[in-house]
Amino acid sequence: MTFFRRLRHLFNRRRSEAEMAEEMRQHLEHRASEFVGDGLPPDEARYAAQRRFGNLASIQEQAREAHGWGWLERFLKDLQFAARQLLRSPGFSLLAIVTLGLGIGANTSMFSLVNGIMLKPLPYADLDRLSAVYRATPQKSDGGLAPADFLALQKARGSYGDFAAYRMGRVSLSDPGQAAQIAFAAQTSANLFSLLGVPMHLGRAFLPGEDTPGRHRVVILSQRIWLNRYGGSPAVIGRKIRVDGEPHEVIGVLPPSFNDWRHLGNFDFFRPFAFTPEFAAERRQADLSVVARRDPSIGPAQAAAFIAEQGARAAREFPEINAEASWRTVSLQQEAVGSSGDMVLPMLVGLSAFVLLIACSNLANLLLARTMARSREFAVRGALGASRLQLLRPLAAEALLLSLAGGTLAIFVAGWFRDWAAIRSTGDNGEQVYFAVDWLVMGWAFLASLVTALAFGLAPALFALRLDLNHTLKSGGRGAPGGRGHQRFRQILIVGQFALAMVLLAGAALFIRGLHDLHHRRSGWESAQAVTGAIVLPAGTYGETEKIAAFHRLALERLAALPGIEAAALASAAPSFHWTDVRKFLVEGLDRPEPGREPAAMVNTISPRYLDVFGLRVIAGRGFLDRDDRNAPRVYLVSQSTARAFFGAADPVGRRLAVARDGAPAWGEIVGVVADFENVDPDPNKVVHRVYQPLAQEPRRQFELAVRVGRGVSPATVVDAVRSAITDLDPDLPIRRLQPLDQSIARTLYQLGVLRDMLGAFGVLGLALASLGIYGVIARTMAQRTGEFAIRLAIGARVSDITRLVLGSGVRLALTGSALGIIGAIGVSRVLASAFPGVRADNLSVLAATATLLVAVALLACWLPARRAGKINAIDALRAE
Amino acid sequence: MAEKSELLPGTLDMLILRVLSRGELHGWGITNRLEQLSQSALQVDEGSLYPALYRMEDKGWIEAEWRVTENNRRAKYYSLTRAGRKQLEKEQELWERMSAIITTVMQTA
Repeated sequence: MTFFRRLRHLFNRRRSEAEMAEEMRQHLEHRASEFVGDGLPPDEARYAAQRRFGNLASIQEQAREAHGWGWLERFLKDLQFAARQLLRSPGFSLLAIVTLGLGIGANTSMFSLVNGIMLKPLPYADLDRLSAVYRATPQKSDGGLAPADFLALQKARGSYGDFAAYRMGRVSLSDPGQAAQIAFAAQTSANLFSLLGVPMHLGRAFLPGEDTPGRHRVVILSQRIWLNRYGGSPAVIGRKIRVDGEPHEVIGVLPPSFNDWRHLGNFDFFRPFAFTPEFAAERRQADLSVVARRDPSIGPAQAAAFIAEQGARAAREFPEINAEASWRTVSLQQEAVGSSGDMVLPMLVGLSAFVLLIACSNLANLLLARTMARSREFAVRGALGASRLQLLRPLAAEALLLSLAGGTLAIFVAGWFRDWAAIRSTGDNGEQVYFAVDWLVMGWAFLASLVTALAFGLAPALFALRLDLNHTLKSGGRGAPGGRGHQRFRQILIVGQFALAMVLLAGAALFIRGLHDLHHRRSGWESAQAVTGAIVLPAGTYGETEKIAAFHRLALERLAALPGIEAAALASAAPSFHWTDVRKFLVEGLDRPEPGREPAAMVNTISPRYLDVFGLRVIAGRGFLDRDDRNAPRVYLVSQSTARAFFGAADPVGRRLAVARDGAPAWGEIVGVVADFENVDPDPNKVVHRVYQPLAQEPRRQFELAVRVGRGVSPATVVDAVRSAITDLDPDLPIRRLQPLDQSIARTLYQLGVLRDMLGAFGVLGLALASLGIYGVIARTMAQRTGEFAIRLAIGARVSDITRLVLGSGVRLALTGSALGIIGAIGVSRVLASAFPGVRADNLSVLAATATLLVAVALLACWLPARRAGKINAIDALRAE
Repeated sequence: MAEKSELLPGTLDMLILRVLSRGELHGWGITNRLEQLSQSALQVDEGSLYPALYRMEDKGWIEAEWRVTENNRRAKYYSLTRAGRKQLEKEQELWERMSAIITTVMQTA
């Protein structure tokens, strides 16, 4: 009740005021007429009434207080006053707001990362009961399950709950009137969407049993491809589209919320598996991702034990496949967060906090200078009896306004970051990484802004309150008398800024250097002259191996004949990244290991000129030739280190390998040894062996094409010719990512690139803010000590002496800060090195260069104001005293 | 005219409540009534009357309404609320106890 009455008074303030005035006026009138009745003349009666009543204004003030809004009104007044004050010095205000906005903005952007990656739940129902099931082997800790394992798991589930599976793959997607495209598609068990608890936006989910052959030709589209390719038309339901050349019916469209890039959101569409008897019996091809939903009655520990037990059973029953494998579960949310959650995110948040700290100490410096400039005003007001609270209030109001403006700017910065990250990550099917600026992010921006502005805005104000009134008044407000304390405080701020800037810059420089090394450590292969692209031959039109082999032959002929092209090849993978096709091998002449524990090697299936395209060297024996085809004996190439591991010093050429599988081994002869090389993947490879086999002996429907252009030819110029050479063969065939290899590498490493750019931005921001800080301090020193310098000049000092004096003090601060910062920088480099094992981050010359840069910039920032020493006119300066 | 006395601190609220318990009045009326009832022995400090009225209104002891007076002018009339009546009882009781104690002490000491 009271509250509403007060609220009414607040909003009808004008009316309440008028009513109060009217009421008191009436009172005075009554009193005056009473006095007139006593015989006073009207004028005197009025004065007498007023005398009797007392000070009208002060009584009204007291009456207003009684309504309980006094503090709020005072506060609004303070804000008005603060706004006027800030507008009167626009330079200061702008600088403070931009500093605060950038600092908080950097921090808010990083918070939006944490929010988008870790805090936001995946768009599934009852997420806490969902988990991923992995098959861990020494080669891969997060491998998938084989179809037979998955089906066995489903059969054994009992009261556990349910299991669903999916497998990613690239397929060609074509419909009449649209260019064919390579789509990122998943095959799923029919229960995937019901298990995740995702409702359809349009149409229906898969029905139980639609993952059996014959019923499986249905697809569910992602929201993204529905909008991009089918114009968001509801008429798409029931339409036939061609997936890998076979007609499929569109039955559903997923909701927009499903486009979550952390999990399944990158897929363009989903279709059911076709569990044929052969597929259902497959035990070696372990590439199904399995999602489990446990029953509410099953606890997480129980669930993990169940999965582990199922894994152990698979290992007992089929040791030749699963001897080294074990199964484990990870909660789905955890899987989505991934490894970046452990180290990279905290590091980024920490570094952005450094930027913020630099910004804050700048703000503190600015506000301190401003408060000091007004110290005389404070002293006078203090002397006139203003309480400390009354002195503090306008300062707090200013800090509050600054924080509001800074927080708003920070939200803009976070928005720009979001757009930038989305653009940087956009893939060729339009999928992108998106960090929403939601309420949580905005709340963070304003909270951080408020806390910093109040903390760093009021700290200088408290200094002001400690001022000795007498002293300030006596000294005539000149300079910062008795300000040793606050001088020291400002110096500490500057040293701290430079230390933090050093950490940021050095961290960024080390990472940039490390990434550069990674890009350029391609020992043993070349990319500058190569163009690559991915092709998927639709299973519908290229069902028989003969047809695939024929296409390969023709494509190689056409490509090799193109002008400007030196060599053309087809293969399962370029040397740029680690190869995903891992198989276990038997080596003739070595003791056969226990079944299931054979050595694993990455396999690349290549056409003869592959080695020439990428400049890989054959160091013993021969490469593959055209005659190594399906009718010829099976042949292999091995890498140098693989040869050494298998055969020691003995000559590997002529020895025999076979893929480990049931039945009699199909031996093939090693005909040559390829030099070792390193790819650009930052992940350490757990599989060290490399084996090559001829494409003609195992024709694949999915492959990379690669051509090498002649010297002096730019790889970008042949892209169109390559594309038309392929579409001449098959007009419906899409080529994905057909571009110069260096471009693909940069694109694939974009996450590291984004990280590099963010660290770089932090470094530059930190440096700029720290320079601004030291500039401000030196400029102030110059202004405060003009009188002193004038005297020095008058008694014979030279301008250069003064400049040196001023520069010296600034550079000392910068050097102290940088020296402290190097310690922190070494810490950051340690974190980087352990988060990215491929990135070397202990480059001493980079550290030295960073420190030099920092000091050079500091020198410049000091020199600009110090120059003014030459402009001091001793006579004028002294006269002004 | 008898000698005028200042109000004892803390008694103004009680007196206002008491005056209003007889019926609604405007500000001037309250002043007037207090002076009349005390036979002009009490000097009501007008400077504290209005803040006190506003404070009591804020506490919900009295409510105010603008109405037309008998001589056809608008005036702000105050009247007691239920909470105000309770408050009056409380203050009166306290006052009586207090004055009895003081009287006893003054007479017997």
